[in-house]
Amino acid sequence: MHRWPNATAITNGATQPMTTVATPSHGARFIDPQILARIGNLELVARWVVEGFITGLHKAPYLGVSIDFAEHRAYMPGDDIRRVDWRLYARTDRFYVKQFEADTNTNFSVLFDVSKTMSFGSRGVTKLDYGRFLAACLCYISTKQRDRVGIVTFDDDIVERVPPSAKHFDVTMHTLDQMDPGRPGALGPPLHKATEFFKRRSILAIISDFYDEPEKILDAVKPLRFAGSDVIMFHVLDPAEVDFPYDDSTSFQDLETGRKIPVVPDKLRDQYRQLVQDHIRALTELCSQNRIDYAFLNTSVPLDHALFKYLTMRHKLTKAR
Amino acid sequence: MSFLTPLFFAALVALGVPILIHMIQRQRTEVIEFPSLMFVRKIPFHSLRRQRVRHWLLLLLRCAALALLIAAFARPFFRSAVLVAVTGGSREVVILVDRSYSMGYGNRWERARDAARDVVRDLAPDDQATIIFFDSGAQSGARSTRNRASLLATIDQAELGAGTTRYGPALQLAQGIFEDSDQPRLEAFLITDFQRIGVDSAANTLLPPGTVLTAISVADEDETANILVAGASVQRDFFSGRERAVVTARLANRGNETVENLRVSLELNGRELESLPVTVEANSSATVTFAPFTLEDTAMPVSVRAEADALPHDNVFHFTVAPGDVVPVLVVGNAGAADANLYLRSALAIGTSPSFSVTVRAVDQVTAADVATARVVVLNDVGLPSGQIGAAITRFVESGGGLWVVLGERVRWPGDDLDLLPGTFDEPADRDGRGGALGFVDFSHPVFEVFSTPRSGDLTAPRFYRYRPLNTRPETAVLARFDNGAAAMAEHLVGEGRVLIWTSTIDTFWNDFARKGIYLPFVQKVVEYLAAYTPPTPYLTAGQVLDLAQYPGAADLDLVGGNLVVRDPSEDRLTVGSDGRAGFIELAEQGFYEIRDTDAPDSAPVVVAVNVDLAESNLERVDPQELVAAATGRVPGDRSVTTERELQPADLERRQTLWWYLLVGALGFLASETVVSNRLSRTELDADE
Repeated sequence: MHRWPNATAITNGATQPMTTVATPSHGARFIDPQILARIGNLELVARWVVEGFITGLHKAPYLGVSIDFAEHRAYMPGDDIRRVDWRLYARTDRFYVKQFEADTNTNFSVLFDVSKTMSFGSRGVTKLDYGRFLAACLCYISTKQRDRVGIVTFDDDIVERVPPSAKHFDVTMHTLDQMDPGRPGALGPPLHKATEFFKRRSILAIISDFYDEPEKILDAVKPLRFAGSDVIMFHVLDPAEVDFPYDDSTSFQDLETGRKIPVVPDKLRDQYRQLVQDHIRALTELCSQNRIDYAFLNTSVPLDHALFKYLTMRHKLTKAR
Repeated sequence: MSFLTPLFFAALVALGVPILIHMIQRQRTEVIEFPSLMFVRKIPFHSLRRQRVRHWLLLLLRCAALALLIAAFARPFFRSAVLVAVTGGSREVVILVDRSYSMGYGNRWERARDAARDVVRDLAPDDQATIIFFDSGAQSGARSTRNRASLLATIDQAELGAGTTRYGPALQLAQGIFEDSDQPRLEAFLITDFQRIGVDSAANTLLPPGTVLTAISVADEDETANILVAGASVQRDFFSGRERAVVTARLANRGNETVENLRVSLELNGRELESLPVTVEANSSATVTFAPFTLEDTAMPVSVRAEADALPHDNVFHFTVAPGDVVPVLVVGNAGAADANLYLRSALAIGTSPSFSVTVRAVDQVTAADVATARVVVLNDVGLPSGQIGAAITRFVESGGGLWVVLGERVRWPGDDLDLLPGTFDEPADRDGRGGALGFVDFSHPVFEVFSTPRSGDLTAPRFYRYRPLNTRPETAVLARFDNGAAAMAEHLVGEGRVLIWTSTIDTFWNDFARKGIYLPFVQKVVEYLAAYTPPTPYLTAGQVLDLAQYPGAADLDLVGGNLVVRDPSEDRLTVGSDGRAGFIELAEQGFYEIRDTDAPDSAPVVVAVNVDLAESNLERVDPQELVAAATGRVPGDRSVTTERELQPADLERRQTLWWYLLVGALGFLASETVVSNRLSRTELDADE
């Protein structure tokens, strides 16, 4: 089994130190997001990334887990008699039903933040583009697993919604393709509203830059879990938002509010970086406490790594079941 | 401390500039868009916008330099009584010295200059003074100077003028100096002989409030005797074909004692020609006539000089006598009608200035030479001669000559030569009863201008019994009409010449005009006008400006292309137009100015005689207190109001000139800032390396 020594950014209750750049040792084919940005067809991007990624992971134990036999358990009234293992009954004269590893025909939805802040990109790839590639890849993987895929885009309200369906892959791709960030964002109202959409147990991937207080973010996300959904928070940030690499004193303008603040970067860079790390750390801890998966993604990191995080979490989910 | 322009303190906001520079180094104007300033806002404010001031010294230097600059522009001054008193004891002194020629009486001029020197020597170190020399005009030396040597040198170099006394220009100049002054005390010294003739010019001049005007009189208390040559006239005659002149001079005695056997001489070209003794009664005048002398071809400088007395300037009278002041007149009459010209010839024979040379010819005896030598042709009751003579007369008029056509009974005018006439005329018309009179006269015309004032001749007195009706053209100028509206006299311009037509006779045949007193001036004015006669100017008065373009004697000078050089009475030479005014010469001295065109060495020089204004010879004095009171509104020497002059803020600020020190301080700070910043930059660069 491959080990990702620096992939500790994926935390599921982990307390490892945060590292923004994960470097797979070998076996995976890393694709620079800037190269992906030149490919217009999202499905092509997703296929290219996912299949290349899967090829790299051909010995990984994660594939096919969803259809593998797990264990037997004693028949209980109410169980579907079609699941009774008649062969075992013949041997033991007892009724056992077969249980499989997971029910892979689940709903998979992407909750995509299309607020103005997502349009920021210092290296050619915006956070929105990066999230778009990520969402496309996740949907592609889910479709391959015969999951139902859907998408909800939001800023300070629900912008667009594609209900999960086995036939909605193309619509989801189209929605991803047409996303246009322009308005200020807020997590609380749209996510509370989205809770109504997911009555059934689902896998929800929230892609956002999570510019809010950690407690408020969790308050917004937690209701999604009430229906039993599994929630994965993909925290996408640009390297400039993490490292604050500016030198000259100048005015910074908030993309959403338009407010300008004169800033001396040299003098506040360290404080800024510390605040960002504290923010990520706080989100990590809160997510862990609330059994929410959290993945921090730097848009300078190849997309494969994000997929790896996702599949790792899916694996954990199946293990936990 | 007060400020003259406190609004400049609004610029104090500029102090924020160095502070901002210090606080936010190299802050660029461009804006960086950032997704969210959530974390930036969490950082304490001072770390965002306020940077620690690293170079306090630099900041202070820059702020101080800016503050001083702003304060300098606000023009500070002190109102403090102590400070004003410390700097407020100084005076603005104006010394007015009379340099009119009456100051040449006795030793007045030397006494006046001594008095001026005394005033200069009495000046306090902080006093600033101006010396004004005045006669009819005023000139100042260096204004408001503290340089005593300069003031004394100005006094030493001053010369007596030839002008008259006028206090007005000098006091107005002093008024301007005082109004421009920032000194708290204003004081003027008027050093003059206080002639009354100059007082009127000062009527509307009032020195600024608080000005002390001290009168220093150099006039003598006793009555002053003075003999002056009041003028001279020239009588001309011809002797042996040469024009001669007889000069008669008039002398006046303004003293209370009779002057006996005063030697009066006639000088010609600077050489004494004759000297005669004259006795002039007290407060009276006398005349002296010198022997005739023959005139030369050019204007001769003539002077009548009386024996010198205490005031020599008015003891001489200069003038020029030019030959040829004679107007040749050709009278063309009918043969055998000599009486018709009698009155005309008699009237013209009396003239002296100019005199008229009358030639009478019968119409059939006129020659072209007669016409050519005349300046005025009179066709007395004859029409235009036919043939060459008529053509000669026509050319004569067209080239500038004057023609007087007198319409009598026998005038027949050729029908094809009507161009010389202002219209056609009909057969004689009679006026019944007492005859007619002149009903309209154009007194603005030079011919009749002399009759325009009251009691200068009654033009309605002559009675006209017959005349030739004139049918004038619309453009014809009718100068006089009879009381029935018929034209009596009309003017017609032909070429460069003038034609006057008189519709009645100039003898006693059709009217009694010739028997009236106005006949003589009328005839002379008509001939002078037709001859375009301009009386010569025998002399001008000192102070006048000579315009050579208008001076009759300078008609031959080339004012544009010639190189005109003037030799003034002091034998100094100066080029005409060197002061930027071509053809103008300021006549400042008494005597003869000689103007010569050096480009035309063969031409005769133009001589201009200049005399002093004899009004200045009247040495009657005015009470100095009267003049002082008129100029200041107070009695002379009254210093009680000197402290009442409240200095205006602008005066205080100008005197204290604190802005200058602030500016120097600001420059010093800026220089220090340069040194310190360079040193700091070098230090930091070394540290970086």
